[in-house]
Amino acid sequence: MTSSILDPATWTMRREEEVMGTVVVLDLYADATVSTDELSPSLHAAIHELHEADRIFSTYDPASALSRIRAGTLDPAHAPRVISDVLELCRDARELSDGWFNPWGLAGGVDPTGYVKGWAAQRALEQLRAGPVRAAMVNAAGDLVCFGVPHPGELFRAGIVDPFRTDSLVALVDLRAALATSGAYERGAHLIDPFTGRAQARLASASVSGPDLGMCDALATALCVAGEEMLATIDSLAGYEAFVVGLDGTRRWTTGFALAGVTDYDPTAGG
Amino acid sequence: MVVLGAVIGLVAIGSFHASPAALAVTTTAPAPTSRSAPTPTTHSTTRSAPTTSSTSAAPSTVRSQTGSTVNYNYGTLAVSVTVQGKTITNISVPSLNDGGNSYSQSLDSMSIPILTKEAMAAQSAHIQSVSGASYTSAGFIQSLQSALTALGI
Repeated sequence: MTSSILDPATWTMRREEEVMGTVVVLDLYADATVSTDELSPSLHAAIHELHEADRIFSTYDPASALSRIRAGTLDPAHAPRVISDVLELCRDARELSDGWFNPWGLAGGVDPTGYVKGWAAQRALEQLRAGPVRAAMVNAAGDLVCFGVPHPGELFRAGIVDPFRTDSLVALVDLRAALATSGAYERGAHLIDPFTGRAQARLASASVSGPDLGMCDALATALCVAGEEMLATIDSLAGYEAFVVGLDGTRRWTTGFALAGVTDYDPTAGG
Repeated sequence: MVVLGAVIGLVAIGSFHASPAALAVTTTAPAPTSRSAPTPTTHSTTRSAPTTSSTSAAPSTVRSQTGSTVNYNYGTLAVSVTVQGKTITNISVPSLNDGGNSYSQSLDSMSIPILTKEAMAAQSAHIQSVSGASYTSAGFIQSLQSALTALGI
């Protein structure tokens, strides 16, 4: 939608794109020798990935391929190949999460929405990585993925929203790749227990970091539904770490989670 | 291995924009990222001075403006912004009509304060992004920009 130079000295550029029912923010960091014209092809390719994902996977557009599969009017065998690719990734996520992430466990037919937003943002980032920028971050409605560092010697740093005070942060994280957060405070979140079919969250919020945002997105949703017992499962997955806020306000995290700060837990404050 | 996070006295929000990797407790400036934080006053103990001129200083004038009502994918909304000088001190959404469908409920009052946090964090916090702050809306940004433009900011 808009492009602007935020910091002329380091050629930082922000693009905000309205897509997938939200705004995806792309931050690009380029050396001063790189012109905006040189950035354009990879930026356009990244944005194209987002819109393609929206066109194919939207559950709000009855004409999307996924909607027609769900309605039974499109044979999955004749659907775009990318749908079967994503469903295969969803099967991996279902297995790695011991069934707590299950796009086949929802009413209304298969719904990979919990994977697609992160997956699309990851693909957008890969397009940027192939271009002339030295670092970039994609923020798809609070699910983040980056490569490189914003400034020499300084990692990307993200805040995690406090699920009990959503105008505040509960923790800071140093970011090397992807970070997704799910929480019951997000009323649009699909926190359905796949084993009972009922809406249920056993944590106030769950954040998962790791190499791939699609998987982080799915695992964060699964963790929030399953509860903190699943932290051990996440911990056993190479490259994936987690931070959770319990329904009582307690914070727990895996030892590898790159916490750069966390707010104090005050049990008398009611979470 | 899982760590129980009963962290002793770590940072409050106000220290989030201290230097990188700062984990120590700080008592630095009031959190500019808190939407309810009033602009700091500096005349707390000087009761003797009868002058009131400081309150009329132009840069600290509090002004509010409601932006235009904007159509977004799932309804209409309008954003109201309050500024003190050139600093945003509050953002609210007095008008939101989302038609009640399940998706657009995600844009209701539960999620709007996150946007408020983001908008103010963008002014001060030394972080690049916020995770879990979902449902940013182009309509929200558009209405906010129209309000800020009307305020000359």
